Amino acid sequence: MAHEGVTRLGRALKTSPPGMLGISVLAVLLLMAVLAPATAPYGPRERVGRPFQPPGSRHLLGTNDVGQDILSEVIWGARVSLTIGIVAALAATSVGTVAGCAAGYFGGLVDGVLMRTVDLVLVVPFVPLMILLAAYLGPSLYNLVFVIAGLMWARPARVVRSQVLSLRTRLYVEAAKAAGGSAPHMIRRHIVPGVLPLVLAEFVVCASLAMLIEASLSFLGLGDPLQKSWGTTLYYARVRGAFLTGAWVWWVLPPGLLITLTVLGFALTGFTLEAHCGPRLARRGAGR
Amino acid sequence: MRGRLGTRAVQYGVLIFLTVALNFFLPRAMPGSPLAYLAGEDVGLMSAEVRREVLARHALDLPLGTQFARYLGNLVRGDLGHSYQRGRPVAEIIAERLPWTLLLTATSLVLSTLIGVALGAWAAWRRGQSSDLSLLLVVMFFRSMPSFWIAVILVAVFAVGLGWFPIYGAYTPWLVATGWERVLNVLRHLALPVLSLTLIGSAETFLVMRYAMLDVLGEDYIATARAKGLSERVVLYKHALRNALLPVATVFMLNLGFTVSGATVIETVFAYPGLGRLMYEAVLSRDYPLLQASFLVVTLAVVLANLLADLLYPLLDPRVRLSDGA
Repeated sequence: MAHEGVTRLGRALKTSPPGMLGISVLAVLLLMAVLAPATAPYGPRERVGRPFQPPGSRHLLGTNDVGQDILSEVIWGARVSLTIGIVAALAATSVGTVAGCAAGYFGGLVDGVLMRTVDLVLVVPFVPLMILLAAYLGPSLYNLVFVIAGLMWARPARVVRSQVLSLRTRLYVEAAKAAGGSAPHMIRRHIVPGVLPLVLAEFVVCASLAMLIEASLSFLGLGDPLQKSWGTTLYYARVRGAFLTGAWVWWVLPPGLLITLTVLGFALTGFTLEAHCGPRLARRGAGR
Repeated sequence: MRGRLGTRAVQYGVLIFLTVALNFFLPRAMPGSPLAYLAGEDVGLMSAEVRREVLARHALDLPLGTQFARYLGNLVRGDLGHSYQRGRPVAEIIAERLPWTLLLTATSLVLSTLIGVALGAWAAWRRGQSSDLSLLLVVMFFRSMPSFWIAVILVAVFAVGLGWFPIYGAYTPWLVATGWERVLNVLRHLALPVLSLTLIGSAETFLVMRYAMLDVLGEDYIATARAKGLSERVVLYKHALRNALLPVATVFMLNLGFTVSGATVIETVFAYPGLGRLMYEAVLSRDYPLLQASFLVVTLAVVLANLLADLLYPLLDPRVRLSDGA
């Protein structure tokens, strides 16, 4: 049954032009990240030329302030950016799914406590809290993922809960429960397969938000200085005054364009999946 | 109605309490001495006697419960702490910055709502046609851009390249001009930051508006209006638009809360002297009291705006009044 749901989602993507566009963009970007060792001309931290070189035959996107090849930096950066986005979204969706399943299945006090917590997390001013925590916890990849996931689980939790509520009233679920199915058994066998397609959709939407948030935090210099994501590259471009010279064309445009394409890819895919399987949702601004 | 508001009020109370508690415990839970975070002093280098004296001066030698009570007492009296980096009360610094943030974010919010509503309604009206779909794709693209990236590009093109707008700041320092010239100066500084925020904000409103409008256009009363022979124009503006505005109003009020938390990233790019930029400066200079107080003020503002939204919403949508009566 879980299988069927996911297969149906695949079909929904194939028949929707925006969905296909989103998935193709993501596939190309993932390929770029995976193949980085083969496609990047240099290593991400290798000093290979004079600093601040404009684009030329040796360096297609020029070099940065310490003489690293910007093209290589951007290709390797795909790995860091995509990893943070995907891992944070994975964590947020997992927590959200567990919370949503528990709230929807058990109802009563569990539901009350969990959902009031969700309401609370949804009003927390996002970026300021991130800045506060990042300042105390220090910049590292783990903290970044931890903070993003800690604030993003609320939305999937709410969506999954409403789906569980509707599943709970279906006949086959009630029958299984009447036959004496224990709570863990019920959740594993009947609830999780039912919400799985929706969880996938939520994961993709979360990933698009996580990518934007990671970019903003890294751009402010609160990311991991040792792991250069696209946001980090933009941070250095700003700090070294790239937009005061012509260098912004090859230093600022490419990483930002890649962030935009990734977020767009996730968003198009996510909205297509969501429209196909989920209840309709009011969406909130991303990390502003 | 009263029940719903009551629950919300309790939630907001909890949120404020958690924020205060986080602010209090975070510096004390970090490894090392809280003095490093609260007073910017390194106790490792002090003699035992000096350390005792400094701890006592900041009341850090008292039991944790007493410290917390004092902290709460100070907050109630409006004392947000002292910035050791700037040697000034934090409340004073925040009061200086708040108007600039409000000017920036409120202007952008109003503009992006107007633009988003107009374009969204237009796109819904032309649903499925190529003009609707291409506009939708463009909007999705804008929505996916990091706001700071737009800002940096705008600066590079319109401020540095073309020289039409100033590169940073909210006004020209030491400007002797008065009256209109002064207003014009502030507006010129405001233009690019507002444009960055509006481009992204109107994309969000556009999506909500287009969706709501499509929904309304499928309703029976629209078909009735058309059947009566009303012109498409009247149907669109008099019947559909007003009802489709409801979800937009919700989003508007939610965003109202975020006007104060504002636009840290945008303010940073433009060195705009608002609250968001202040938080960033506080992080850079390790000014923890300033950082915490800014966060508290932002949270309070968000809560107030949400409370306002909860109070106003039943006035806009009579259905809420009716269904929540029970």
